[in-house]
Amino acid sequence: MGHLRRAYLGTMSEVAWRLPGWPQRLLTEFSLAERGSMVDMLAAAQATPRREMRRKYFLHALDEGRHAGIFAERVKALSGGRVARSDAVIEDAGLLQDHGIVGGKTLFERLGELEFLAFVFVAEADAVEQFGVYLDRKLPDPETTAALRDILKDESFHVSYSKLECERYRREGKPVDAALRAVRWRRMKEGWMRFTRDFGEWASGFWLLLLYFGAVGPFRLIARLESGGWRSASGASAVARNGLDEALAAARLES
Amino acid sequence: MSVPAEPFEPSRLEAALLKFGTAGALLAMLARGSRWWMLPLVVLFLFVAIGLLFLQSIQYVAPFIYMVF
Amino acid sequence: MPVYVLGISALYHDAAAVILCDGVIIGAAQEERFSRLKHDASLPIRAAAWCLKKAGITAADLTYLVFYEKPLRKFERILATSVATFPKSWGAFPRQMRTWLGDKLWLRGTLCAAFGVRPDRVLFCEHHLSHAASAFYASPHTEAAVLAVDGVGEWATTTLWRGSGTSLTPISEVRFPHSLGMLYSTITAHLGFAVNEGEYKVMGMAAYGQPRFRAELDRLLKLDPSGGYALDLDYFSFHWHPTRSGTPALEALLGPGRFPGAPFTPEGGAAGGAARAESQRWADLAASAQAQIEDAMLHLVRHAKAAVGTDALCLAGGVALNSVANRRIAQEGPFAHLWVQPAAGDAGGAMGAAMWVWHAVLGHPRQPGLARADLGRSIPVDRAREMLTDLGAKFEAVDDPPASAAADLADGKVIGWVEGGDEWGPRALGHRSILADPRSAETKEHVNSRVKYRELFRPFAPSVTAADADSWFDIPAAAQEPACWMLTTAAVRPEKQATIPAVVHVDGSARVQVVRPTASPVFHQLVSEFGRLTGVPIVLNTSFNLKGEPMVSCTVDAMASFVRSGLDVMYVDGLRVERPK
Repeated sequence: MGHLRRAYLGTMSEVAWRLPGWPQRLLTEFSLAERGSMVDMLAAAQATPRREMRRKYFLHALDEGRHAGIFAERVKALSGGRVARSDAVIEDAGLLQDHGIVGGKTLFERLGELEFLAFVFVAEADAVEQFGVYLDRKLPDPETTAALRDILKDESFHVSYSKLECERYRREGKPVDAALRAVRWRRMKEGWMRFTRDFGEWASGFWLLLLYFGAVGPFRLIARLESGGWRSASGASAVARNGLDEALAAARLES
Repeated sequence: MSVPAEPFEPSRLEAALLKFGTAGALLAMLARGSRWWMLPLVVLFLFVAIGLLFLQSIQYVAPFIYMVF
Repeated sequence: MPVYVLGISALYHDAAAVILCDGVIIGAAQEERFSRLKHDASLPIRAAAWCLKKAGITAADLTYLVFYEKPLRKFERILATSVATFPKSWGAFPRQMRTWLGDKLWLRGTLCAAFGVRPDRVLFCEHHLSHAASAFYASPHTEAAVLAVDGVGEWATTTLWRGSGTSLTPISEVRFPHSLGMLYSTITAHLGFAVNEGEYKVMGMAAYGQPRFRAELDRLLKLDPSGGYALDLDYFSFHWHPTRSGTPALEALLGPGRFPGAPFTPEGGAAGGAARAESQRWADLAASAQAQIEDAMLHLVRHAKAAVGTDALCLAGGVALNSVANRRIAQEGPFAHLWVQPAAGDAGGAMGAAMWVWHAVLGHPRQPGLARADLGRSIPVDRAREMLTDLGAKFEAVDDPPASAAADLADGKVIGWVEGGDEWGPRALGHRSILADPRSAETKEHVNSRVKYRELFRPFAPSVTAADADSWFDIPAAAQEPACWMLTTAAVRPEKQATIPAVVHVDGSARVQVVRPTASPVFHQLVSEFGRLTGVPIVLNTSFNLKGEPMVSCTVDAMASFVRSGLDVMYVDGLRVERPK
């Protein structure tokens, strides 16, 4: 499995890093992923009931923040000061997508301490393997490779400490193997869900586009954009005159 | 109490539509306003919405359903 | 049983939750302060949970939950605009419809599921009414003209209201796609900044330039004699393109846009002649856009005076956060009093919607106006102590934190200052602030480059005690209230400019905060003590965050920003934290 994964990563990276504009795109994604990890680790530092873990999560978060900065600097350097608008997210507050907050709950709150540590271990080990492949192949350029080597040291430390903590839980009789299995299953499931979501977006987009040209087009003959200037207020928001019941009925309307 | 520009006085048709939740409220809004001509389009898109919501509810296998179509 | 109303704004940008108990604001918080995702637009589940906890209730105790928009009207606008711009809207249409048909259209159910409330308790308030209510009901005025100006809500982009007692009467509106907010955002994007984030930067950049592109920009926006305006839509694509807000015609008119992050060096520095000339072009464009928005706002304000005739004007919407425009409205406009609430943007809609339910729907009388902005989460000192201990911080409790902090500032240290509740709105008002001594010119560059890691051209605000404000700043009489929320600029008196160079912008102005003892008692003590020590009752005040991150809220956030920045020392509610070696 490991060999297969490395072969897959190697092949993909040979292609991806060499396409024009892709190194910037990939490094932007890495930067955002590291920023998202920082958010997750800080949330864990805030929420953990195990006080001895707080500093470890906190330092881990600082590492992730530093990595995000390193990747962002590489994007800028590779762009020659002309960061594409699609990568502008590294310059300003972007909509950070790669984080573990779902339904108002952080990754730590959703998983609990043991599974969270297992998640850190598995995710960081995957990152070490992934970055190792890039380093082996000296991709994409010497400066980025040097940055990756620097980051790899931190990631290896993250693997070590999370592994040690998992081992500690194992000695306490906690179901570490089950947690690791759950995390791997969760990552596979989330990967599949990402695929189904992306595929669904593409497919529904295709059908909606057909509808757009088939059904929306004819209505263009009737539709007009609003003209500028002041006009009487529609007053949809105003409240009925006739007492509380009507006022509430109007306020309940979504329209 | 605010003085309304348009008091909330739904017609019989609107009142009936409003019983059908969000979809009814949407149709009632269009029927009342100047964009009544969008009604057929919105009805069509409400059917699309049903499809989208169904596919979201079975997201695990949605790609296979899409492929069927 | 008291009446609890929870106001919610979300799903565009700056989600927030506000809770009222019998019309009194118990808590107000932005989701980004909890999630650490700047401008977080997702449903404010954590902010709402905090609000409920602060009020000591559960969701089942809520009398009403009110959302700050009417979603079906917004859907109507999006669909109608897509049809009217067919076939250009082909790129945006599938994305928008997928989101709306699969999710946003069914908001009532989503709100019920997310917040645990019954469907009959969920109310909806129009976007611009939420803005107008947030300004009027939070103001001390019982009679006022209310002007809301932003990008877009449902259909309206600019609305005028008459506020009287508990009533808000709509008078007139400008409709999408004609929008001053979208115009300014388009120029913001052209200048390489993120929309809904970089507008402040355009305002800061403007002071370095001359409005020599004004004639070109006037082709984009026409002010009409009846007090309204219209955009020339040939230059804009925000209403039909999925990502771009300007057309190639805009680029042809204004020249190529700035790449995000491109160095801005109008004052020379290491940049060569070509780079400097390019920087000056951007500054001139920013100055032109700023002058245009100011003139347009004055045009609208004069119309508001003619239509409503009151002495007071309440401003709301994202454009009301333009502090330079607010100064001109106060100075040159016809109103004697100007009011802008601290969260004038979309976050403030949560407060406005909740207040609208209390006053307009339920018909209850007005409350006193908003007097404080520290309406968010505070840190229990025991919890802060525990956190700092666990994080290995070196800290000590100090007897008189304001005096100790003032001494550190006078000693040239740059400090992080966390005290009381989070600020409501985008400005740090002395509760989550980075503070520094304004007397050294180097401070500005130091704080920009080595503390916050942001663009060097961006100015810093001064916070001055209320008693001393007039002797240092020429604050327009009508702008006394916005000055308390850092929502206006003022000229620094010429004879004083050399004394506080770190907070004087290149045009001799400053975005001043007048600190009242009633609004921020502890911060007022700090600034007063700094004045006693140095003879200058002013501190440099900027938000406690790093570039691209929201303001810190809790101890862990504060510590993370502290150790990654060049701050010398940090105060967390009376605990003085040393910088780790």
